[in-house]
Amino acid sequence: DATAGSSSDCQLCPCPAGATCAVVPKTKEVVCTNCPTGTTGKRCELCDDGFFGDPLGEAGPVRTCRACSCNNNIDPNAVGNCNRETGECLKCIYNTAGVFCDRCKEGFYGDARAADVADKCKPCSCSPDGTVNRQTTCFQSTGQCQCLPHVTNRDCSACEPGFYNIQSGEGCERCNCDSIGSTN
Amino acid sequence: RPTPRPDVSPLPPGSHILFTQSGKVEFVPLDGHDLKKTEAKTALHLPEKVLIGIAYDCLEKMVYWTDISTPAISKASLHGGEPISLITTDLGSPEGIAVDHLGRNMFWTDSMKDRIEVSSLDGSKRRVLIDTGLVNPRAILTDPTSGYIYWADWNRDSPRIEMAYMDGTNRRILVKDDLGLPNGLTYDPQTSQLCWADAGTHKVECMNPNLGDRRQLMEGLQYPFGMTTDGKNLYYTDWRSLASVFSDLRSGVALKTRGSWVSFHCRCGVFSDPPADHYALGGVVVIDRHAGKEVDEFQPQKQTRLYGITTAHAQCPSGQNYCSVN
Repeated sequence: DATAGSSSDCQLCPCPAGATCAVVPKTKEVVCTNCPTGTTGKRCELCDDGFFGDPLGEAGPVRTCRACSCNNNIDPNAVGNCNRETGECLKCIYNTAGVFCDRCKEGFYGDARAADVADKCKPCSCSPDGTVNRQTTCFQSTGQCQCLPHVTNRDCSACEPGFYNIQSGEGCERCNCDSIGSTN
Repeated sequence: RPTPRPDVSPLPPGSHILFTQSGKVEFVPLDGHDLKKTEAKTALHLPEKVLIGIAYDCLEKMVYWTDISTPAISKASLHGGEPISLITTDLGSPEGIAVDHLGRNMFWTDSMKDRIEVSSLDGSKRRVLIDTGLVNPRAILTDPTSGYIYWADWNRDSPRIEMAYMDGTNRRILVKDDLGLPNGLTYDPQTSQLCWADAGTHKVECMNPNLGDRRQLMEGLQYPFGMTTDGKNLYYTDWRSLASVFSDLRSGVALKTRGSWVSFHCRCGVFSDPPADHYALGGVVVIDRHAGKEVDEFQPQKQTRLYGITTAHAQCPSGQNYCSVN
């Protein structure tokens, strides 16, 4: 308030160098109005959308704003790709998940960090009849589904040699062929 | 080439362009169809929010916006006054918003919940209108006199522009071929022209939705996000910057950035996160719809991304509610 006539009428903006500030008339709160490039917030303490960090070091050491880091598993045309403080990725694509889109989402397996999209996350596609509890998830790295007894293949789609009847949903049964009449 | 139309009249005095930018709603008055750039100012400052979509209710002179940080849908009077939260629950990433000033409803897209919703302008009577076949719905608009909504979905695998009745029925696809990232969408009821700005093809195209007479208005755009029209001009927000270049690493096209052409090698199928020190800049670009060329541009003081944009008419356009007529 420059009209009060005292030496403390005008105070320095509590904002980083170069930013201007204003007083909210109703609450008398001081708000920075022109934060340095890439930053925003009442005190320029936040990063712009698409970036994350802690530009004023409010929660620890100063971390300048960096672009969302999501293993190339976000779309640059999307908005709100990561949390502006923690950098947690919020819009993973290519069937990835995790804080940094660094793993495959449920029901998918492969290497979320692979350079080529085709090598990223593929569907588990577990065969329901051969899989324990008809699960749809598999091991992240190998893609191996959890097979019922005497069931084989990555997707639990076949019986082991000498076994049959995968459709039972309880695993495969021994063939019980008579050794005299069978070819092997 | 379209000829200038004598029936395009200047907007009533007091109309302006509103757009969102990093926690702010910015305001640029219109003088006829010219931006009064020297009178641009911040209409609303919400430093902790990330405002994306914006719409204006010409009847009550309220501005409506989506906020992906809370997330929330809110409104405030343009002439001062506190923001009022309208929708705060069960939102993922609310992006586009449109007001039906005759029916007193608002419509919005949610690109995380993959749906289009509607509610009264006070947030009551909320209802999901469409929840199938949506991947990245963004822009949405209403044509209250005909009872339609239009929206664009920038789904990378199958981008499209669609329409439906305001109750979600009679849905149909208007455009699905030769689209890239149709981010911006606008409609001029006077001439029945639906226009879209595509950040993938870098084109503005228009059509009369009833005739299907699609045609290109302009090409060589940088990176359009939102779009609006005042009847004569189109105004779009532009993510000019390296962000635009990075999104096109996939196709390896040459892009114009700040007046100079830069070409990039194809990195097919691989997106690259933009480097930390390259922040997006932003601007509002004005296209004369009849001449089909860029006629003006406005760059706000703060250099960061601009998102939604809308025309705030000083008076509501004439026309009756479709439902009250039929």
